[in-house]
Amino acid sequence: MDAADLELFERSLRHALADHEGPGLDEALEALGWRDALSIEPQTAVAVLFELLGAENATSSALDQVLTAAAGLDDEGAACLLLPPLGRTDPPGQLQDGACVIRGLAGSSLHHRDAVVVVARDASGGCVALNVAKAELEVRPIEGLDPALGLSELSGTIPLGSHASELGAADWSAAVAQGSLALGHELVGAGRAMLELARSHALERVQFGRPIGSFQAVRHRLSDSLVAIEAADGLLAAAWEDGTPLTASMAKAFAGRSARTAAGHCQQVLAGMGFTAEHPYHRYLRRVMVLDQLLGASSSLTRQLGEDLLGDRRLPSLFPL
Amino acid sequence: MEIDAFRAALDEWLDEHEAALAPSHAGLGTLDEEMAQLAKVRRLVYDAGWSRYGWPERVGGLGGSGLLRAYLGEVLTARDLIEAGIYSMPEVLAPTMIDFASEALAAEMVPKLLRGDEVWCQGFSEPGTGSNLAALSCRAVATDEGWRVSGQKVWTSLAQYSARCVLLTRTGDADSAHRGITALFVDMDSAGISVRPLETMHGLEEFSEVFFDDVLVPFDRTLGERDRGWSIAMDLLPYERSTSLWHRGAFLHRRFGQLLSTVDPEALDPRRVGEVAQLLYAFRARSRATQRRLAMGETLGSETSIDKLLVSTAEQAVFDLVAEGLASAVTIGDDAQSRRWRAEFLYSRASTIYGGTIEIQRNIVARRLLELGSDR
Ligand SMILES: Cc1cc2nc3c(=O)[nH]c(=O)nc-3n(C[C@H](O)[C@H](O)[C@H](O)COP(=O)(O)OP(=O)(O)OC[C@H]3O[C@@H](n4cnc5c(N)ncnc54)[C@H](O)[C@@H]3O)c2cc1C
Repeated sequence: MDAADLELFERSLRHALADHEGPGLDEALEALGWRDALSIEPQTAVAVLFELLGAENATSSALDQVLTAAAGLDDEGAACLLLPPLGRTDPPGQLQDGACVIRGLAGSSLHHRDAVVVVARDASGGCVALNVAKAELEVRPIEGLDPALGLSELSGTIPLGSHASELGAADWSAAVAQGSLALGHELVGAGRAMLELARSHALERVQFGRPIGSFQAVRHRLSDSLVAIEAADGLLAAAWEDGTPLTASMAKAFAGRSARTAAGHCQQVLAGMGFTAEHPYHRYLRRVMVLDQLLGASSSLTRQLGEDLLGDRRLPSLFPL
Repeated sequence: MEIDAFRAALDEWLDEHEAALAPSHAGLGTLDEEMAQLAKVRRLVYDAGWSRYGWPERVGGLGGSGLLRAYLGEVLTARDLIEAGIYSMPEVLAPTMIDFASEALAAEMVPKLLRGDEVWCQGFSEPGTGSNLAALSCRAVATDEGWRVSGQKVWTSLAQYSARCVLLTRTGDADSAHRGITALFVDMDSAGISVRPLETMHGLEEFSEVFFDDVLVPFDRTLGERDRGWSIAMDLLPYERSTSLWHRGAFLHRRFGQLLSTVDPEALDPRRVGEVAQLLYAFRARSRATQRRLAMGETLGSETSIDKLLVSTAEQAVFDLVAEGLASAVTIGDDAQSRRWRAEFLYSRASTIYGGTIEIQRNIVARRLLELGSDR
């Protein structure tokens, strides 16, 4: 896309998000061709939409679509794809003794579906995707820290055969990589939204006869927030270009940590006003805390990276000029 | 030449000339040894043409994008042939000359700098003027013969090795602030200049006090317009925060890699190792984007303060890990490798000070990027 197309694309997505939510939003995205964009220019489609989702605190089934497409499954945009349990990256299904043991999280699209797609690993390490009827599984709708996200916890052991139809081989690590980038952009979007809330508050709120944005302690918190967010955004872009699971995971972990850094600074600047339920800030904090745990938590992904580096005893050369 | 072709050809040349380029000292050299090594490497890469790429033809360059310069410094650092900090000084000094000196002066002088025939220094800070650069007081008075300069500079890196100095002087009233500053290109062997090296806390005489006692500087050595030196200093800041930071990142990458290959894995918290690696790669991603913008001809501005904040933080984070993982080398080791780790650990403490402190960078981000208005 050139600059003009990109602007148009972003504007139409922005409108869709402003006018719709839930299944209506999914339909609007489908109508304006977001899924086509995803197959032609995945980076643009994902970066623009997920940053907006983060900024608007919106929910959609776009993550299901990103994962499904990256896994190489063709579902015509209608599937709910099961995510791993909180903080995990391994496939939510495990094939053993003619059955599939399932444990994972489903996004809000599950509410409007009768079945869920479960990627399961078999004994040889390969992955297959199964279509599993919702009725076969134990479903716990999650209230939790961020009820608006509409997550559900799913579990069960399903005998293979009539209860679970096989959809074919699935590239799970590609799905996790691209899903991680999507979540990274959503975290960046949420970070930018929080920063904008805090920034405008800092310009308006007067204490000691001056806008609080004139106090250096406040300015430096906001500037540290911007640095964290921009750094995360830059790492995401480089990870797209690099195209490996290693950098996608790094970028997701870093985006999670950066968004939480920004959340802390912005909350302090918003102070009492930001602590009310009426103020939008808390919705971003909730979202960031949960997104940080999906497809691997920043803390465990980061620890894993460190263990790998200490094990390999070298620092890989990445991002050549 | 394009970056990929340049990289391949340069890598091959470096392999072939490995012996000629190798430092003659092992581990941490004295500053004299490091300067000799730097001069040798500069001459070899200049004579073979490599360091002329990325600079305009009118100053002896071979043209091509600035990415080529970024890669040259990166690979020389990665191969441990030069010390990135002192190697990168022309990345700021040469653009000053190209943009603000007369064409003839730039054409005469810049090749000497790039070839390593000469070292130059940057005389901005004064005892009373660090962050608040606009308050500088080293005075230049116009006379019939030229400028007469009197005053003092401090922390002037490599002044004792320098043949020339890009000097900021006060030419307006004492309280003219940024409106009365003029930049001069001064020969360091001029009568009336005395240089007193200062030992830094990492044990090298890397910077100096420089005293000016009625020093004559010809008018044709004025850089840019009279009283407009502030805009030169401002125009140069983005140069300080682009290619030279990319080189710094390459240094951190090499040392972090060497830490990983030497450290007892039990001595480090893996999560902390992961965090520092992510930070370093995030800086590299950001800095690469900056390099590419520069190569596309974009004018860099305040957004490069973000690059600077990231590299400063990353440098201290890397060497905090070194201090933990190689604690005995840093604290009680006296062999060559230990002394080098120790010196670099100590030097990393300055990364949040030189080139504009991190507080000043945050002020810039708040003012220019977040548009938070005045801080009073
Ligand atoms: C290794 C090294 C090499 C150097 N090389 C050179 C060189 O080659 N040429 C040259 O000209 N200079 C050089 N310098 C000097 C360097 O640019 C200054 O040290 C730096 O700009 C800070 O100035 P200062 O040391 O006077 O600190 P000060 O300005 O006195 O600051 C002291 C502390 O106060 C803080 N502070 C000051 N003003 C503000 C503010 N407005 N808001 C918030 N905090 C503030 C600072 O961040 C700092 O933490 C070098 C310094 C070092 C350490």
